[in-house]
Amino acid sequence: MMEESKKRKELEENQKEDENKRIKQKELNKQKEPNKLIKPSKLIEPSKQIEPNKQINQNKRRSEDKKSQSYVFASACIMGLGQILYKQYIKGILYFLLFLGFLFYFIFYGIDAIQGIVTLGTQKADTWLGIKGDNSILLLIMGILAFILIVLFLCCYINNIKDVKRTTLRIKQGKKPLTFREEVAQLLDKKFYLSVLFLPILGVSIFNIVPIVFMIFIAFTNYGGNIVPPELVDWVGLQNFKKLVTLSQFAPTFFRILLWNLLWAVVSTAINYFGGLFLALLLNKKCVKGKAFWRAFPVLAYAIPGFITLLAFKFMFSYGGPINQMITGAGYKAIGFLDLDAKWTARIIGFGVNAWISIPTTMLLATGILSNMDETLSEAAKIDGAGPWKRFKKITFPFVLFSTTPVLITQFMGNFNNFGIFYFLRGGLYLEDYFLASDTDLLINWLYNLSIDNNYYNIGAAISLVIFLLTSIFSLLIYVRSHSYREEDTFQ
Amino acid sequence: MKKRGKQLLALLLCGVLFVGCGKSKGSKDNPTSTGSALFQGELERNVTIRVLENDTAIERGYFNELMNAFNEKYKEYGIVAVDANMDQYLDLANDGPYGYGPDILYQANDVLMKYVKGKHILPLPVESLDCYEQIPEVAWKAYQSEVDGKVYTCGVPVNVQATMLYYRKDMLPNDWDTTWDANKNSIPDMLENWSAMYRYSKEVHEADSKKYGYMVSLYDPYFSAGYLFSYGGYIFGQNNTDPKDIGLGAGDAYKGTMVLKQLARIMNEECIDDTIKRSAYTKLGDGTYFATVSTPDVYTTFLKELILTYEKDGLSNDEAKKKAEENLVITSLPKLPVNGDITQESNEFMETKSMGGINGYAISAYTNAPNACLAFVDFSTSYDMMMKRNEYLGIAPARNDAATAAGGLSAILYEKLASGNIVIMPSIQEVAQIWDPMNTFFSDLAKDAFRKEGEQKYITKESYQKGLDTVSKQINDAIFTLTTKE
Repeated sequence: MMEESKKRKELEENQKEDENKRIKQKELNKQKEPNKLIKPSKLIEPSKQIEPNKQINQNKRRSEDKKSQSYVFASACIMGLGQILYKQYIKGILYFLLFLGFLFYFIFYGIDAIQGIVTLGTQKADTWLGIKGDNSILLLIMGILAFILIVLFLCCYINNIKDVKRTTLRIKQGKKPLTFREEVAQLLDKKFYLSVLFLPILGVSIFNIVPIVFMIFIAFTNYGGNIVPPELVDWVGLQNFKKLVTLSQFAPTFFRILLWNLLWAVVSTAINYFGGLFLALLLNKKCVKGKAFWRAFPVLAYAIPGFITLLAFKFMFSYGGPINQMITGAGYKAIGFLDLDAKWTARIIGFGVNAWISIPTTMLLATGILSNMDETLSEAAKIDGAGPWKRFKKITFPFVLFSTTPVLITQFMGNFNNFGIFYFLRGGLYLEDYFLASDTDLLINWLYNLSIDNNYYNIGAAISLVIFLLTSIFSLLIYVRSHSYREEDTFQ
Repeated sequence: MKKRGKQLLALLLCGVLFVGCGKSKGSKDNPTSTGSALFQGELERNVTIRVLENDTAIERGYFNELMNAFNEKYKEYGIVAVDANMDQYLDLANDGPYGYGPDILYQANDVLMKYVKGKHILPLPVESLDCYEQIPEVAWKAYQSEVDGKVYTCGVPVNVQATMLYYRKDMLPNDWDTTWDANKNSIPDMLENWSAMYRYSKEVHEADSKKYGYMVSLYDPYFSAGYLFSYGGYIFGQNNTDPKDIGLGAGDAYKGTMVLKQLARIMNEECIDDTIKRSAYTKLGDGTYFATVSTPDVYTTFLKELILTYEKDGLSNDEAKKKAEENLVITSLPKLPVNGDITQESNEFMETKSMGGINGYAISAYTNAPNACLAFVDFSTSYDMMMKRNEYLGIAPARNDAATAAGGLSAILYEKLASGNIVIMPSIQEVAQIWDPMNTFFSDLAKDAFRKEGEQKYITKESYQKGLDTVSKQINDAIFTLTTKE
């Protein structure tokens, strides 16, 4: 107990000493600080003769600030006005014309377009009575275009304000505002990316974004069946998606096809990928003579348009086709390879035909990648006793997979949405357990049956959205987990 | 002052542009009168009318002849008819409102009449046309539709299409007049009734396993639906106008499916899919088949194949042509036994009905010259032009006088149409949803003939009826399940 109290006392004494030291140090610092804090202006404070000049400068600066603020405000109110006031006439007029153009569009068309996309039309057309009426689909497209134009205009508007601010800053820095020629020169030099990207972005907005947004919007309308122009289309919220999963005839078919679609996408992608890789490795072997000659065959299959190949295969496997001719010629009964009873036979033929069309692409790709592979790795592994399978598994396959993961994902998505295979091989069949579909139809085929053959554009669009969500989630998940993404900068 | 001047100039510019670019809002809502009221009889002057004609009519020069004759007659008005130069299968509903469609369309009744619901084609004052009295009521009905409680005629019938029997006269048994003419009417029995055709086909195949008597793609509803119609079946109720009433299994239609399955037994598996549709021309030509069915417009294709066969046999082109024309015969379909069993001898027969279509003209609701268009339709359906059409294209005119004057096949088809043995394809838009379910059913029925004993689906009357009910339900589902109520 005594020892403990001693120790405590010692500790307390040490703490007191430390505190004293800290206080002393602070006092020393305080003594040094005043010198540091003295500003140069304060040092010359006694010379009060400079005061009037400073005030004049300050007043000038203030008035310049006010002026520049008013120019920015002018551009904020009327696009291009600030630039005109800065004597940047051409740029200012261009901005101004853009502003006018947009105002003109917005007042005379934009408001109608926005109103149109909300109501989707109020007056039904009747050509016999001479009533022009509203076309809901046109109103929808014009509405989407209006939103895109508004967004593009807002970008220009913000850019217009930023531009005046940049000029203000230049003037503050004592520089002159840029002339139009200098700005154009910048667009061809420092800001060349903007000049190059402008048209593609505009094109993408109109030709890609509008149809995609249109399709998305259609999924929330009743467009289809009897409701096609001149009938007026209405917004129905999530009703189409609800139908997809709740309608007694519809839901079982949806899930049945979805399951088969997933199986098809995974298996066919695997067959195509490994088939192509196998062919590439085979034709890469040193012992193979006349490689170019052998490589030409898959390329030939690739070069023939897909639908012609598919129609040829359909004929080959039909009852009157050469395969059945040979079978019946040999005294056997004809086989219905693709008829309505041929569920799995037709599916297997589908895998085969898809492989025939797609393997050459993977083969060519893998051949190119393999030619860049460092063979010393494989040779070293061989010396270390690794067999061919191990070398493939540990060296060749990871090397090829690293470069081809994005392609693999594209192939997966392509196969998931492979419309042609079963449309050409076995289209036009509606089987008993399916709603307007057959047992080989993929979601995309079913979508076609519903939207094109039966005019249910709304349901087709809803299925498209489901397909989009599925493929994008699946692809993103695979991609972000792949080495290609995580080690993007690495060159293996 | 300078600055203010600039600001004023900017505002002025803005104002000028606003004023200069304004549009008259009233123009959109100003209705112009169109519709049948537009047919005032006064021809529009100096107008060009775009006519969408049948591809074959263009290829064989008939359309050129028609346009020249019309343009000559109406040159004083400055009316010029030109080839619309558009895809034969364009969609007026999508193209017309934007000014891309033709002014006049020539199509089958089911294609044209689907445009009525959206009022994309005009109701016509057909009573004023030269052909009105000559065309039978059944043909006009194919172009009639009820809109807002009134019946309108929206097209003018030009020619009749229906399935006909093609056969090789030189493949008849040499002694057919003694062995295959039970009623001694100098018509071979196999061309008179399906029971004899069944027996003869069996005989042909048994004699040579590579040859067949009657062969057709049973998969195709256009050829197979007629068997159902013959026994009381129909597609839509109320003369094919009520899509809520689907009657493929009505009456004794199951007997028609029995006949189809029995027919499949005398064919090979090719009848299950559409292979025969492509190969029938060659196989009838080379003698693999004795008979098949098709529409009259493909007569020349059959003839060409037969000429080729004869040429291969060593005949000169002229000789081959003459012999082919003599031996390739196109006639009406054999009769069906009332009991629906062609495998047994029968004494009671009835007419076989077939599905048909009536091609005709319609006028787009988006035309600027409806009266000039009506004049063109009137001109092209006149007796002279119908006869010329028959001469160039071999079609069967819908006009009585032209059909009678043309004689032969045209007269047969006209008679069958007038007597109701050609069932015209429905003219409502829901007809688009009947084909795939019917394809599947007929394919299944044909396949059933080749399934093993225990695996066959269609054996009893009930099973046939169930099959027909299923296909009717599928069509109903296709039409109504996803329909949004208006």
